[in-house]
Amino acid sequence: MASCCANQTEVSNRGDTLKRVVLVGNPNVGKSVLFNALTGAYVTVSNYPGTSVEVSRGNATIQGRSWQVIDTPGMYSIHTITEEERVAREIILHETPDVVLHVLDARNLERMLAMTIQLIEAGLPVILVVNIMDEAERMGLKIDLNLLQERLGIPVIGAATARKRGLDQIRSALASYASGKEGAAPMQFPYASPLERNVQEVVGLMKGEYILSRRALAILLLQRDEEIVSLVREREGEGYAAIAAKVASISFERRESFHLDLSLERNSMVRNLVKGAFVAPDTRVVTWSEHLSRWAVNPLTGVPLLLLVLYFGLYRFVGDFGAGTLVDLLENRLFMERFNPWITGWVKEIVPWEIIQELFVGEYGIITLGIRYAVGIILPIVATFFIFFSFLEDTGYFPRLALLVDRVFKRFGMTGRAVIPMVLGFGCDTMATMVTRTLETVRERVIATILLSLAIPCSAQLGVIIALLSKAPGALAVWGGCLMLLFVVVGLLATRVLPGDAPMFYMELPPMRLPQVSNVLTKTYTRMQWYFLEILPLFVLASVLLWLGKVTGFFEKAVDAMTPLMASLGLPRETAVAFIFGFFRRDYGAAGLYDLQTKGLMDARQLTVAAVTLTLFIPCVAQFLIMKKERGWKVAGAIGLFVSCLAFGSGYLLNQVLLITGLLT
Amino acid sequence: MKCAFCGHEFDEKEARQGCGACPGGCHSVHCPKCNYSNPLEAKLIRKIRSLFTRNDDQGGDGA
Repeated sequence: MASCCANQTEVSNRGDTLKRVVLVGNPNVGKSVLFNALTGAYVTVSNYPGTSVEVSRGNATIQGRSWQVIDTPGMYSIHTITEEERVAREIILHETPDVVLHVLDARNLERMLAMTIQLIEAGLPVILVVNIMDEAERMGLKIDLNLLQERLGIPVIGAATARKRGLDQIRSALASYASGKEGAAPMQFPYASPLERNVQEVVGLMKGEYILSRRALAILLLQRDEEIVSLVREREGEGYAAIAAKVASISFERRESFHLDLSLERNSMVRNLVKGAFVAPDTRVVTWSEHLSRWAVNPLTGVPLLLLVLYFGLYRFVGDFGAGTLVDLLENRLFMERFNPWITGWVKEIVPWEIIQELFVGEYGIITLGIRYAVGIILPIVATFFIFFSFLEDTGYFPRLALLVDRVFKRFGMTGRAVIPMVLGFGCDTMATMVTRTLETVRERVIATILLSLAIPCSAQLGVIIALLSKAPGALAVWGGCLMLLFVVVGLLATRVLPGDAPMFYMELPPMRLPQVSNVLTKTYTRMQWYFLEILPLFVLASVLLWLGKVTGFFEKAVDAMTPLMASLGLPRETAVAFIFGFFRRDYGAAGLYDLQTKGLMDARQLTVAAVTLTLFIPCVAQFLIMKKERGWKVAGAIGLFVSCLAFGSGYLLNQVLLITGLLT
Repeated sequence: MKCAFCGHEFDEKEARQGCGACPGGCHSVHCPKCNYSNPLEAKLIRKIRSLFTRNDDQGGDGA
């Protein structure tokens, strides 16, 4: 074939030393993972000339020979529609690949093989990589790779590149191509006679030299591919008029049926190819995970399931076990009974100055308050929370939750996509505020930022508050009810006040599965590590500032200034201390409340009012700074002011309601 | 790595990193598809994992 000759000429012109392999395939089939596995660190990513599409290039040494590896954007067909597809085809057309690695998803083999046929038909040196084999095997799909190889006449390799499976075979197949030992010639795929006759009529008129085969170009001409029309016009010169006339005559003759016939023919080819080579399980067994998946997205079953998840995950595991049992063990038994008395005695022995003693082991001392809060209270709570969070994350429950709440969130001017920052907010509101930038409209971002800073407590705060309130019957329900009510009211108000329309939401659901224990523990460790590294210095700094405040008398004055405000909420004077802690970090404030409760300074009503006010209270310093970065000073300042006023206003109203109704007394 | 939210498989290098606000550097990798913030594996875990991976590879080659 002329195209092959042209290809060989260009390859030899480039010299034998540098071979070129181009990765092609649909989006999300693991091309980039394979690209990185082949190239390692030597990669450049740049825009393809004249486009905004990024193309990665890297070098690899395979069995002693140098290769340039090019990762193309996702494409569905050689007949291009999107800019990404055009760039991918441009690379095939102009970069003269020695090998084209077609990567496809084993789970969707039948759908993706049509492009393999097109690549073979185009006369390209193709290696087929049937990727994601591990998932396909898990689904019970059986693929006879040898039979497929025999029918296609090209190397076919089963792989799971994310698990590094099949990489050696891919390298060997590339090396074989480079040394000219690629094996049998690719198969020909003839169409039924009328269509085949039309293709041959156009091919017969073509005289130019091309990278792609004339057969493939003839089909693309008949599909009215504008770029191919320009290319053929340029290469054929005067002969183009006859080709154009023939194409016009066939198009007129076949009217709209060409595309349909071609598509049907290719489907039939693929069916013949996979017959006996691709076997799906006889009876479609609906697994437990599929049942669970359906229940999770259906409002009738999804809401009870969500409540069960919250009850067992948050209330029993984080609240009872983490914030109850583990905190009792660390905070009371370890710190209060053993470590604090020992360290206090030791510091007082070696440091003669009372003021310095106070800095380390006093009421607001770095060790006796800052480290005790961080290790004794926050650490066990975040550990249990992150175990629960990572477990839920790995089951694939979160995208289903997004789908479940999509309808409700639309009423608040957001889509189910906003579940991502909301869910992350239960881990850390600072990180979640940053993720709001992924929401489609500015309006959605602002609403999500308001709700995050108002009604979504971070992991440590949530855990401490659940632990606090679970000891008082009904208090947790009142707290949860207040938060939910404000979430709904503020969401509804925001969607009316802020202009704009709610965007559309669409997302694919990954399969639900049982998480791996090692993965959950790894994630928990990772999250805890950065969380702890982040909070410990801040807790130490806050302790130093509080100590300074105490030494200078400023702290006492601040508590005095806040006393009337606390009184209006029906709270004792000491609660002001927790609120001052809360200025530094949400969890620091919550830990302060926990301390007050263990000292028996508050009853159930006061605890609930304090917990509601503190949860709604202004975001921590880090969250505020991210709010400023993402939304600007004006919006961040307005949100901070609005949230603070709403927090104290709600606390005041709640206290009045509880006093009048006699609830929680 | 695989995004813990949408299941999209991607390479850490192609993903946008976090905001950089965390003390001690960035600890998250944002999924290029949905932008979910995935935790970046701790160095210790990475070292342990690479130890096992290398052993596996050697075993595979040898076999």
